[in-house]
Amino acid sequence: MDPIISLKNVYKNYGDKKVLKGINLDIYPGQVIGYIGPNGAGKSTTVKILCGLISDYEGEVSIEGINLKVDPIAVKARIGYVPELAELYDVLTPAEFLGFMGELYNMPKELATDRIAKMLAAFGLEANMHQRMDTFSKGMRQKVLISSGLLHNPDIIILDEPLSGLDANSVIIVKNLISKLAKDGKTIFYCSHMMDVVEKVSDRIVLINEGTVIADGSFEELQQQQGNISLEKIFAQMTGKESLSDAADQLMNAFGK
Amino acid sequence: MNIFNRFFLRLLLAPTGLYRRIGVNPLHLRAILIAKLTMDDRRPAGLHQMRRKKEKEKPTTGATLGTMFFTALMGCFFLFSFGVGGDAMTQYTFYFSFYIFILASTLISDFTSVLIDVRDNMIILPKPVTDKTFLLGRLFHIIIHVAKLVLPMTLPGMIYTGIISGIPGLLPFMVLVLLASLFTIFLINALYVFILKVTTPEKFKNIISNFQIFIAILFYGGYQLLPRLMGKTALEGYSLTSAKWAVVYPPYWFAASWQYMKTFDLASPLVIYFVLSIIIPVLSVWVVIKYFAPSFNQKLSMISGSGDEPVAAKTNSKDILSTTSSYITSVANWLTEKGAERMAFLFTYKMMGRSRDFKMKVYPALGYLAVFVVVMFLNNKKLSLAQIQQETGQGKFVFISIIYFCSFALSTALGQLTFSDKYKAGWIYYVTPIHNPGRMYSGAVKATIIKFYVPLVAIIFCTAIAIVGPKVIPNLLLGFFNQVLITILTAYLTLNAFPFSVQQSTSMKGGKFIKGLFALAIPIMLAIVHYFIYSYLIVIIMLCLLSGIATWLMMDALKNKNWEQVYAREYEG
Repeated sequence: MDPIISLKNVYKNYGDKKVLKGINLDIYPGQVIGYIGPNGAGKSTTVKILCGLISDYEGEVSIEGINLKVDPIAVKARIGYVPELAELYDVLTPAEFLGFMGELYNMPKELATDRIAKMLAAFGLEANMHQRMDTFSKGMRQKVLISSGLLHNPDIIILDEPLSGLDANSVIIVKNLISKLAKDGKTIFYCSHMMDVVEKVSDRIVLINEGTVIADGSFEELQQQQGNISLEKIFAQMTGKESLSDAADQLMNAFGK
Repeated sequence: MNIFNRFFLRLLLAPTGLYRRIGVNPLHLRAILIAKLTMDDRRPAGLHQMRRKKEKEKPTTGATLGTMFFTALMGCFFLFSFGVGGDAMTQYTFYFSFYIFILASTLISDFTSVLIDVRDNMIILPKPVTDKTFLLGRLFHIIIHVAKLVLPMTLPGMIYTGIISGIPGLLPFMVLVLLASLFTIFLINALYVFILKVTTPEKFKNIISNFQIFIAILFYGGYQLLPRLMGKTALEGYSLTSAKWAVVYPPYWFAASWQYMKTFDLASPLVIYFVLSIIIPVLSVWVVIKYFAPSFNQKLSMISGSGDEPVAAKTNSKDILSTTSSYITSVANWLTEKGAERMAFLFTYKMMGRSRDFKMKVYPALGYLAVFVVVMFLNNKKLSLAQIQQETGQGKFVFISIIYFCSFALSTALGQLTFSDKYKAGWIYYVTPIHNPGRMYSGAVKATIIKFYVPLVAIIFCTAIAIVGPKVIPNLLLGFFNQVLITILTAYLTLNAFPFSVQQSTSMKGGKFIKGLFALAIPIMLAIVHYFIYSYLIVIIMLCLLSGIATWLMMDALKNKNWEQVYAREYEG
């Protein structure tokens, strides 16, 4: 089977700072990839490259066999992206914002309108459909963002901390949604700092640190390498520069005189 | 969507075939423009105004129409230039100067806040939209935005020109307005590129806002002072055609070009300006596209900061300590009680110096005051230095006015003290165990006095003593104590929230207005009383003592306000 996402020797520098130092990754259809790493490891840079937000990288990125540098538009049409932080035009209403997104994805208007109404209703936002989003809570905005990423029924879905701000019930909805999408053959690229969620939803975990992939495999495989411990502990073992419990001790010592 | 937006949209989207040929998707273009224009329409006119998100208040709609109306009013002000100067060339030079100047200062902030929205990068770029479509969408948005400013702004000028010179005058005028607008956009671009070259993106916004403060004061000052300095009759007969420097002054080219285009006489010496007025804008557009545009977007997105780059930590231990200057720390130690009051003092002092929002509101007001004082001096033609020295009549009047004028500076600053864009950070006052909220007030008021009054007082004291001699000191002191007393009294009566903890709202409540009047009336009354007793030294010294004691007592009262007395505002976060 051909990989649906393939990164070969991807490098990216910001000035002198090397952010990605040769990322190699093949992802296959229907996989849920948990993409994890400490702050500054290069997670969001990878995501931005995949979404076509950063184009001056070195190496080769292809999606469904299409080279990202050759035909970025065709690639973008196949990807649904849910950005971190609530980046949306909040003076628009969800219906307007999602309608705008639909048009940019070349969706027929009737289809878009119908789908928007259904998706918002599923998230319990049907009453807020025509309210401006500047009054929305973080969770409500996140629901609109998730809808905007799924609206055009993409093959690949990139989620960057999709659960932030959502209440416990919505978290369950999104988690279920992720596994259903994967069963439907969608490929999901899931970036998060929440290890317990990543551990549960993803069937393959990619851990990057300082611009390189340092671990790649299912949770069980990682456990075989690192011992029978939680993903949180594996993460700490592989990326923690100093012992983390020392840091906690130091914090406690700060109370002393 | 109002009629103007629909008109521009239809106009710009007409050549769909052409767009397809150059790789632009007309449907995407239309979607982007509609979204952008809808957002513009909902964006409140003033940057800081009406951000209130209460359901009771009507959400902003039709902001465009409102803005256009005010722009047209502004355009009417330009008509003053037709009252200046003896000939049409001079008048139109003034007109174009005003126009370029005001358009530039209006657009300069829009470029970061409205036109180049960095959210676009996150929202539109990951969608299957070609770069050309995206860029053309942005360009058209800028064109529509500028057109919505330019048309109402020049409408009064057009009507005037049409009435005075008929169609032969009107058509060239319209062409020249277009060219001047292009030239203005070039100026703004050049300024942005220049500022970004010499400074870091983080400082950029501060520089732009300082620049706007400067422009506002300069404009007001020029408007007030120029006619007075030159004399009214001199201004009416003034002609620029004889001035040599006019040759290098772009608004003069536009004026001369207008004059030329009415006749199209090839032999006229004005032909050179005609050529200049066409070539320079076209050339500047070319420069913008060729050199500025490519790096511009990228640099602007740096301004809003994606937060990718960590802030360089200050490594030098000296730097860390020096964030609080030793001067203000010692002033704080001397003036305030340890604890909440000192914390409030230092906090307020620093915030007033660093908050862009606060500076934008207070500094222009201070500038206007300064201009006003100068105007007052110039209006008093009879006034002489000797009169001030002898402290008689006019001299006394000016002296008192200047002393008491400072209270307006103080009340302006005090009035803005509680407002902030980051009002949500006000939670700090409610979660910390503050026993006496009054300490927060007294600290903040002291900081305001130190920041906005003491420097002024120092200047006034030095100048007054230098001109009049030490005998003026009792009067100065009385003025000083009265000022401080008024400030503290105003604070006691009107300050009803902690510093920088309330969201700015535009609606001026009735009570607030009365309080504002009150704050104006007290210093005027005191000034009048002071004027009449000016020469009685004993009385002055007595009152000085009284005022000092009252100040002290008043400050004590403010300091000891407890939670029940404080109008406990709900936390608005």
